[in-house]
Amino acid sequence: MDIHEYQAKNIFKTFGIKIPKGIIAYTPTEARDAALKISETGPWVVKAQIHAGSRDVGRFSDKRAGKKGGIRLSKTPTEVYENADKMLENMLVTNQTGVKGRLVSRVYVEEYIKTIKKFYVGLAVDWTSASIKLLISPVSEHTDDDVIEFALKNSEDILKLDLGLQEQITSQQLNEIAQFMEFSGTLSTLKTFFNKIIKVFYAYDAVMLEINPIGISKDGDIWPLDAKIIFDSNALYRHKDIVRLADNTEVEEREQTAAKYGFQYKELGSGIGIISNGDGLALNIINEAKKINLNTACFLNLKGGVDRDKIAASIKLIMTNPKVDGIFINILGGFLRCNLIADGIITVANDLGLNIPLVVRFEGTNKEEATNILQASGLSLLIAPDTVLGLNMLQKAIAEDL
Amino acid sequence: MAVLVDKNTKIMVQGITGTQASFHIQRAINYGTKIVAGVVPNKSDDSYLGVPLFSTVKEAKEKTGANASIIFVPAKFAKSAILEAIEAQLDLVVVITSGIPVNDMMKIRQELARSKTILIGPNTPGIITPKEAYMGIFPDNIHKSGKIGVISRSSTLTYEVILEINKAGFGESTVVGLGDDLIVGCGFNEIIEKFNQDKKTSAIVLIGGIGGNYEIEAARLYQQTKKIKPVIALMIDDPTTLSDNKGLAPEILCRGITTLAEKRKKMEDAGMIVIDNISALKDELARIC
Repeated sequence: MDIHEYQAKNIFKTFGIKIPKGIIAYTPTEARDAALKISETGPWVVKAQIHAGSRDVGRFSDKRAGKKGGIRLSKTPTEVYENADKMLENMLVTNQTGVKGRLVSRVYVEEYIKTIKKFYVGLAVDWTSASIKLLISPVSEHTDDDVIEFALKNSEDILKLDLGLQEQITSQQLNEIAQFMEFSGTLSTLKTFFNKIIKVFYAYDAVMLEINPIGISKDGDIWPLDAKIIFDSNALYRHKDIVRLADNTEVEEREQTAAKYGFQYKELGSGIGIISNGDGLALNIINEAKKINLNTACFLNLKGGVDRDKIAASIKLIMTNPKVDGIFINILGGFLRCNLIADGIITVANDLGLNIPLVVRFEGTNKEEATNILQASGLSLLIAPDTVLGLNMLQKAIAEDL
Repeated sequence: MAVLVDKNTKIMVQGITGTQASFHIQRAINYGTKIVAGVVPNKSDDSYLGVPLFSTVKEAKEKTGANASIIFVPAKFAKSAILEAIEAQLDLVVVITSGIPVNDMMKIRQELARSKTILIGPNTPGIITPKEAYMGIFPDNIHKSGKIGVISRSSTLTYEVILEINKAGFGESTVVGLGDDLIVGCGFNEIIEKFNQDKKTSAIVLIGGIGGNYEIEAARLYQQTKKIKPVIALMIDDPTTLSDNKGLAPEILCRGITTLAEKRKKMEDAGMIVIDNISALKDELARIC
């Protein structure tokens, strides 16, 4: 689950981390009022709040917003109003949003902090070693905002510290950080800052915490100028306060439905819709489909616990995607009882009717029973013995359906 | 011969009374698996599915001699169940449970590093030695006994691979599902070593997963151990197809480039046979076996 910058900063604040003054605004007028509450003289920064990075170098799809990105320095309250007006209800496209971009429904108005140096700071789970890594990298005003690209090109400019499962940095690590950053402030400020973000990381079961960037002021203060926290969805049951921060305004209806059922759902273009119960399985189908020039519109991973209702919901969801011209259901597993899949398909067929070709392939317990149920149902669906044949059957059915 | 599990392995089940556990354990018993104990913390009965119940792993181990456990308990309680099994110094623990928080898994890995227990999973279909026994949730009708060892980090793809191995006229010595989660208890290396020592296994099929560097670690070890048995690696999982770029940032930052192409290259350089689709498996098996 993602939260917005302002929400992450509020969490920082509750842990005693100093953040720039800021107020969230949903309209241009609110933005101007916010600016005046923050300071009398400015300047201010107006920041689009979307669940994706690289906002600064992003572009709005509606031309009224001009060529600037989603983070704009504003010198007067009127400029704050104008910038908010240009961003709100507009789609912001960055290299992390996909081509459609994300709808900006709120902007964060923040005091502008003058800093002399900037650094990317990240805490992340290193999956393979099952430990936490701290990453720091200098950010110049001219650096491309995309940290990943940067990291790939300049790996020697990144300080990587393995924190294991430590809850605090050691004095040796502190010295290393200070040296790397050529930090001129007091070491205790630096130590407190890093220990506090580590505390936030553990307290909320984060899998990633990113501040891109922190700014160092002339007098040695550390300011998080941005904040992003990605939480472990499996641990959200322990953090009801985080669940309440969810903002679904930029999430499309189909994605919301998918989230409700716990499906992983991704749209890739137009073509066939794939329902499977594993990533690997889905990728294999996408690859096999490509070989026979069949494109994939979307894929849906049911994830564990497949039952009749989930199957029915997944087919309904895929059928609402107008770019799907045929459905391939490929489910394998031992956990799974195939008769439940058959029941789910029949439920949908009775509710909505099957208006596009559907090929089912399953392996698992009660396979024969399920095959019998489907064959006896009289539905015009096809049952395939394996992936490759199934895709060929679907391709043929789509061609005949047109 | 087999690796990890055979018909003589004495197995306990943690969380045996759950719906899924009951269903799959009954099938495993029918298959011939030696299920000797169930562990249920607040047990009200003395036995279940004809298996004696105990309140703790320690007691189950002492009374029955079980040295392996299969865990079905829900994600919220999985951490304490797993730690209990590690503390009781079992040889093997297989965790079927999915959805265990990352933080819990990090603590479990820390404990594992200090113990001799092998932890398979979480979020795995388990381990099966065809015609002998299994600890997991496999469909029991698809496996054939044979000489191919299978290690997988993609559960559902495993079944496709098994079917393909069978179609090619071979069978499996043992199939080990490492689990689909980003943090798993055991990587490829420990299992490759076990297959290397297993007389029945003549070749290994490795199925790569999304994220993590387990495949690259396997490549590194494979090169060092002088490629004792041929490894065919199926690598089709390009993480960027399915997930948003942003979720990969930490990994790329932690480890550097881990694109699919890079993984494949490292594995090929180490002497593994890398294939990018299942259909190629048949020919490669025919060529090396």
